[in-house]
Amino acid sequence: MVLELQKPRPIWQIMFSTHHTDVGLLYLITSVAFLFMGGALALAIRAELFLPGAQIIGDAMTFNRIFTVHGTTLIFLFIIPFASAVGNYFVPIMVRYKDMAYPKLNAIAFWMIPPAGALIWLGFADFTWYATPPYSIISAPGPAADMWIFGLKILGISSVLGAINFIVTILKCKHPDMSIGQVPLLAWSFLSSSLIIIVAIPTFAAALLMLLTDRLGVSGFFNPAMGGDPIAYAHLFWFTFHPEVYVLVIPAIGMMYEIIPRFSRKPIYSYNSGIFAFVLLSIVGFSSWAHHMYATGMSFTEKTVFMIGTLAAVPASAMHVFNFIATMWNARIKFSTPMMWAVGGIALFFSAGAGGVANAAMPLDFSTHDTYWVVGHFHLFVMGTIAFGSIGYLYYMFPYVTGRMYNETMGKVHFVMSFIGTVLVFFTQHVLGLYGMPRRIFDYPPIPEWIAMNQIVTVGAMIIGVSMAIFLINMIYSSGKGKLANTEDPFGVGGKYYYPFEAKNPSH
Amino acid sequence: MKKLVGLFLVLAVIVVIPAIESAFAAGDEPGEYLDRRAVIWNLFFRMMTIAFVVGAVVSGTMIWQCWRFRESHPKAKPTAYEGTDW
Repeated sequence: MVLELQKPRPIWQIMFSTHHTDVGLLYLITSVAFLFMGGALALAIRAELFLPGAQIIGDAMTFNRIFTVHGTTLIFLFIIPFASAVGNYFVPIMVRYKDMAYPKLNAIAFWMIPPAGALIWLGFADFTWYATPPYSIISAPGPAADMWIFGLKILGISSVLGAINFIVTILKCKHPDMSIGQVPLLAWSFLSSSLIIIVAIPTFAAALLMLLTDRLGVSGFFNPAMGGDPIAYAHLFWFTFHPEVYVLVIPAIGMMYEIIPRFSRKPIYSYNSGIFAFVLLSIVGFSSWAHHMYATGMSFTEKTVFMIGTLAAVPASAMHVFNFIATMWNARIKFSTPMMWAVGGIALFFSAGAGGVANAAMPLDFSTHDTYWVVGHFHLFVMGTIAFGSIGYLYYMFPYVTGRMYNETMGKVHFVMSFIGTVLVFFTQHVLGLYGMPRRIFDYPPIPEWIAMNQIVTVGAMIIGVSMAIFLINMIYSSGKGKLANTEDPFGVGGKYYYPFEAKNPSH
Repeated sequence: MKKLVGLFLVLAVIVVIPAIESAFAAGDEPGEYLDRRAVIWNLFFRMMTIAFVVGAVVSGTMIWQCWRFRESHPKAKPTAYEGTDW
C-alpha cells in the first residue's frame, strides 16, 4: 500500500523494507533533504557575491568548498535520487509488475546514498564538481578530496545498480499483455536514461580511480609533472557527464509527459514522437561531450564535428516541446500546481535550449567559455527544467504518498515566486557572462554593471529561497494535517489513473 | 504542423551554415586572415535574432494557449476524451 503516511508504520519497517514504494519514499525524503541543504549553500554563494569584496564567507578556499558541495549535492544527491524516487513508485505500477525486478538490489542502491552524502558533506572538498586536475591531484587538501572521490564512486555504483533494475523491470517484467510500445512515456524516460547510465558511468568510474591513484602518487595519468595530461581527464569526465545531462533531464521530461496530458484532459498528442525523441536524445547525448573543451586546443575539424553533434539534440528537444504544445491545444486545462510547474518548466526548457544552441556554436563558445553565461545556461536547465519538472511531479504524487492534499494556494505561490526568481537569477547570469564575469570567483572588481547584475541575481536567489521555505512548510504541514485526498482522482480532472494507491505490498 | 516543421528546418539551416562557415574560414594556412571578433559578434547577433524570433513564437503560443484553453475560459468545452476511459 502506498499510503505510508495515512497508515503510519514504525520507521524501521520502511527503512528495512525492499518494496518499491518504501524504497521510493526513502529516496524521496533523502533527495528533498539534500535539495534544501544544497539550496542553502546556493544562498550563501549569492549572499557572498552581492557586493565585491569578502562579505559573509571569510576566504576564497571556503567559497570554493561551498560551491563544490552545492553542485555535487544538487546534481548527485537531489536530482538523480529524486528521479529514482519517482521511478521506484511508478515504473513497476506502469509496467504492471509487483515490484522492481531485484528488490534487494534496489534497497542496496538506495542505502549507498546516505554514506556517499556523508562523505561529500563531511569532507567538503574544494576542487569544483569537475574535480579540476591538476589542482585536484597535486594540491587539493585531503582527506576532503579523497572523501569526495569515494563518495562519487559509491554514487556511481548506486546509479548503475538502479539503472540495471529499471532496465530489467521495464523490459523483462512488464505484463505479458503489454508491448513495449504501450509502456507509458514516464517509464520510457527511465529506460532511456538508464541505458545512458550503463554506457556513460563506467568511463567516469575509471577516471575517478585514475584520479585517486594520481593523488596517491602511484600514477600520473593527469599530472603534467609525471607526463600526464589533464585534458585526458576532461575527455573522460565529459564523456560521462554530457550524457549525464540527459540522464537528469529525460526523467524530468517524462514527468511532464504524465502531468501535461492529465491536466489537459487529453492523451499525449504523439506518443511515438515522444519515444523517438527520448531514444534520439540518448544517442546524440554521446556525440557532444567535447563541446565543453573547445578552448583546449582541439582542431577545427574536431570542433565542427562536436558542434554539429551538439546541435543534433535540438530537433529531439524541440519534438518534446511541440508535443506538449500540441497536447494542450484544444484542451480544457486545469491549472493546478503540478500543471503550473510543468508548463513553467517547458518554457524555461525552451529558453535554456536556445541559449545552448548559441553556446554550442564554437566561435561563440570562445566568448562565453568559463563565464557566467555557462552558469546561467546550465542552471536554467537544472533548475528551470529539471527541478521544475521534479517539483511539479512531487506535488502530483503527494496525495498518493500521503493520502492528503497539499495546500493549493501555497503551491501556486511557491511556483510564481520560483518562476520569477529563476528568470531573475539565470537570465541575468547570461548577460553577466556576456559582460565578461568569469565563473567560480570569490571576489570581483567593482564594475558598476557587474555589481548591479550580481545584486539582481542575489535578490532572485533570495526569492527562490523564500518560496522553498513556503514549500517546506506546505509539505510538512499538509502531510500530517492536510485535507484527506480522494486518491482515485485527487485533482478532479477525471480520466484514467495508474491508481498507485492500489499497489499491493505483500510484505506489509 | 508540416509548415511549422518546415519553418524550423529553415531556421536550423540558417544557424548551422554560418557557424560551419566561420569554423572553416579560420583555416590553419599561413596568411589567412579573419577578424574573429567581427565574425563572432556577427554570428552572435544573427543567432540571437533567430533565437528570439523562435522563442517569441513558441512562448507566445504557450502563453496564448494557457489563456485560451484554461478550464475557466468562457469558450472552454469538454475534450473528446472526458468521460471516457482514455
